[in-house]
Amino acid sequence: MLDPRHRKLAEVIVGYSTEVGPGDKVLIESTGSASPLVRELYGASLRAGGHPETSLGLDEAEEALLGEGSDAQLEWIAPDLEWKVDRGDVWMVIDAPVNTKRLTGVDPSKMGTRLKARAPIQSRYLERSAAGDFRWVICGYPTEASAQDAGMSLRQYEDVLYRAAFLDKDDPVAAWASFGDRLEGVGSILDNVRELRIVGEETDLKLGVEDRTWIRSKGLRNFPDGEVFTGPIETSVEGTIRFTFPAMMRGRQADGVRLRFEAGEVVEATATRGQDFLREMIALDEGAKRVGEFAFGMNDAIGEYTGNLLLDEKIGGTVHLALGRSVPGTGGENRSGLHWDIVCDLRDGGEVYADGELVYRDGAFLSGTS
Amino acid sequence: MRDARIEKLAELITGYSLDLREGQVYRIDGEEVSIPLAVALYAAAIRRGANPYTRIVPSGLDELELEHASDEQLAYISELEEIATERLDAWSTLWGAVNTRALTRADPERRRLQLSTQFRMVNRRWERISAGDLAWCGTFYPSQGHAQDAEMSLPEYEDFVHGACHTRDGDDPIAHWKGMSETMTARALELDGVRELRIVGPDTDLCVVVEGRQWVPSDGKHNMPDGEIFTSPVETGTSGEIFFAFPSIFQGQEVENVRLRFEDGSVVHAEATSGENYLRSLIETDAGAKVLGEVAFGLNYEIDRFTRDILFDEKIGGTMHVALGCGFDEAGAENKSDLHWDLICDLRQEGEVYADGELVWKAGSFVAELAVARA
Repeated sequence: MLDPRHRKLAEVIVGYSTEVGPGDKVLIESTGSASPLVRELYGASLRAGGHPETSLGLDEAEEALLGEGSDAQLEWIAPDLEWKVDRGDVWMVIDAPVNTKRLTGVDPSKMGTRLKARAPIQSRYLERSAAGDFRWVICGYPTEASAQDAGMSLRQYEDVLYRAAFLDKDDPVAAWASFGDRLEGVGSILDNVRELRIVGEETDLKLGVEDRTWIRSKGLRNFPDGEVFTGPIETSVEGTIRFTFPAMMRGRQADGVRLRFEAGEVVEATATRGQDFLREMIALDEGAKRVGEFAFGMNDAIGEYTGNLLLDEKIGGTVHLALGRSVPGTGGENRSGLHWDIVCDLRDGGEVYADGELVYRDGAFLSGTS
Repeated sequence: MRDARIEKLAELITGYSLDLREGQVYRIDGEEVSIPLAVALYAAAIRRGANPYTRIVPSGLDELELEHASDEQLAYISELEEIATERLDAWSTLWGAVNTRALTRADPERRRLQLSTQFRMVNRRWERISAGDLAWCGTFYPSQGHAQDAEMSLPEYEDFVHGACHTRDGDDPIAHWKGMSETMTARALELDGVRELRIVGPDTDLCVVVEGRQWVPSDGKHNMPDGEIFTSPVETGTSGEIFFAFPSIFQGQEVENVRLRFEDGSVVHAEATSGENYLRSLIETDAGAKVLGEVAFGLNYEIDRFTRDILFDEKIGGTMHVALGCGFDEAGAENKSDLHWDLICDLRQEGEVYADGELVWKAGSFVAELAVARA
C-alpha cells in the first residue's frame, strides 16, 4: 500500500538533503523491501532535472560472497562503486533491512578483508563530500526487521521513524531549517572548547578538541538526523567510558562495553557479552584503537532506544564516540577500515564540562552557556 | 523456498551460455521480480571465481521516466552503462515482468524516444558481443505477468519455462544444449548451400531467396531458452503469399490472421482480421519495413504452444518465422529498418518446405539431410 509519507520523504531527501539539480548524476540504492520509496525518489529526482539510476542490493548475493568468496573476490571493487565515488554527484542509500542479524554467522576475517579493501573507497567519497563535490545520504526506511529490533510493531516503528524525520510536521523542510539553527547554537559553543570531560555512571573521559571542526548534522548526510560531531585529537583521549547501549556492527553485538583510554589508545576493553567480538574489531588495524568521532545526539523527537544506530546515535541527551576512521571535514586524521559508533545515554545524571565549566547536565546543554 | 531448477538454470547460463571464468567481470541485470535467479547466478559466478555484481531495479521505472523526464533526460545515456559496456566480460539480462502491459497506454512519441535511447545503448554493447569480447545471455524468469499472457498458472508456466530450457529435475541441461549446438551447426552448414526456400502451408506458398547468406544456429549462448536457425533473405527475392495463424504482436498490440503478399522482395498486399490499421502503419515505418530481414526454423520442441512472448514463440518446434524489417549483419543482410517484427507461421500440421525443389521439412521437422550436403 502506498504510504503518503513516502512522497513527502522523497521530496525532503531530493529537495533538502541532497538538493538534486539539473544534470546531477544520482544513484539510489536500497534493498528490495524499500522499492516504494525508491520509486518516489526516482520520480522526484527526475522532476528536479537529475539523471537518477537505481540498484537494489541482494542480501543473499552478499551472503554468498562473504560465505564462499576468495580473498580476491572479497577485495574486488565493482565498476559501479568506483564510478559512484569518483564521478557521481548524489548517492542515496536507503537502509531497509529484512533481517538485521543475517550476517551474524559470517567469518569475521572475511568481513575484515572486505572492510579493509573498501577503506580507500570510503575515504575517497568522504573527501569528495567534504570538498562539496559529492552529496550522499543514508535514509532509514521502516521494516519489520527494524521494528522487531525495537520491540514494537511495524506501524509503531513507522511512526517513530517518521516523527524523528519531522514528517509529522506540515512543512518538514522548515522544521529541519529551524532545527539547524538550534544545532548552530550548540556548535558555536563547542567551537571554542579545548577539552571536554564526560562524566556519568562508571564514566570519566577527557577528549581534546582544540582547533577541530564541529559539524552540525542537520538532515543532509543522515536522515533522520540531529547531532553535532567532531574528530577529537588522536592522542588526547584519556579515561574510562561505559556505554549504556549495545555496540552493534553488521548483525553482531557487544553489551556493557567499557573502554579505558591512555594517550588516545584503547588499553582495556571489556564487555558483559560479546567481548571477543569487541576485541576483534579493535584489533582490525592501528586506527581501530583510536577515537575518530565524538558527538552529541540532539534529536529530541527520538525518545527511546530502537537498536538502529541511525536513530540511536541521534537520541537527544546521548553522546557517542566512534572507534576508527575520522570523518573528513572535522580535522580528524585517524585512518582505519573501521568506523564503529557506540552510544552512551547521559539523560540520567550525566554531565559534560567544557574547559572545566559545566555546560551540559541530564542530557541537555545548560541555558546561558557561553 | 529454493527451486532447484533455478540453481540448474544458473549453472547452465554461467557454465555453458557465458562460459564464465575466473577473474571475469560479470553483471546481472533484471527487475526485482527476478531476484531469485539473480541470486543463483551471482552465487554460481562466485563458485566459478568470477567477479559478479548486480543491477536489479524496481518495476515501474520506465513508466516514471515517461511521466517525469524531459526529452533531454529521456535521451540521456548513463555513464554507468557506458563504463559497463566497455569493462564487462560477461552480462546477463533477466526478463521477467510483473505486468507485461504496463506501458501499453504510454505516449507513443515519448516511448519511441525512450526506446531509441535504450537501443543506442544496446547497439554499442552488440559491437563487443559480435567481436567476441563480451559474452551476453538474455534469459527468462517465470513471473505472473508472463504466465498470465501464456494463459497458465505460475507453477504451470514455471514447468513450461524449465522444460524449454531443459532445466527440469533429472535433466542434464549442459549435455542437452551441447548436443543441440552440434546438430544445429551441422544443419546451418547444410542450409548455407541452399539457393531458394519454398514454404508451403495453409494459405501459404512463399519463395525466399537465401543464396549467399549465412545461416546462424541459435544454440543457447545468447538466449535461454533457445533453439532456432535463422538467416536474412536476399532483399529482392521474396515472392508469394504467407498466412500467420498465431496472433502477431508488436509492442504489446496484437494483430490477428495476418496475410502478406510479396513481389520482388516487398510486401504488396497486407490484410488482417483485426488490427489491420496497425499492421499497415508498421509496414509503412520506412522502406525497409516492407522487406524480410529474417527467415528462421523454430526447433525447440519443448515449446509446444503459443505464449504471446516472442522469445518463446519464435522457437516453437515445427514453426517458421519471418521478420519484417532490419536484417542481421552476421547473416550478410543489407536491409535496414527501425522495425524488426517477427511473425510466426505454424507448419506443424500440414506444412512443407522445399530447398531448391527438394522436400526438406514436413509436418514440423526436417525430413533428412539436405541434398546439397550430400552433393
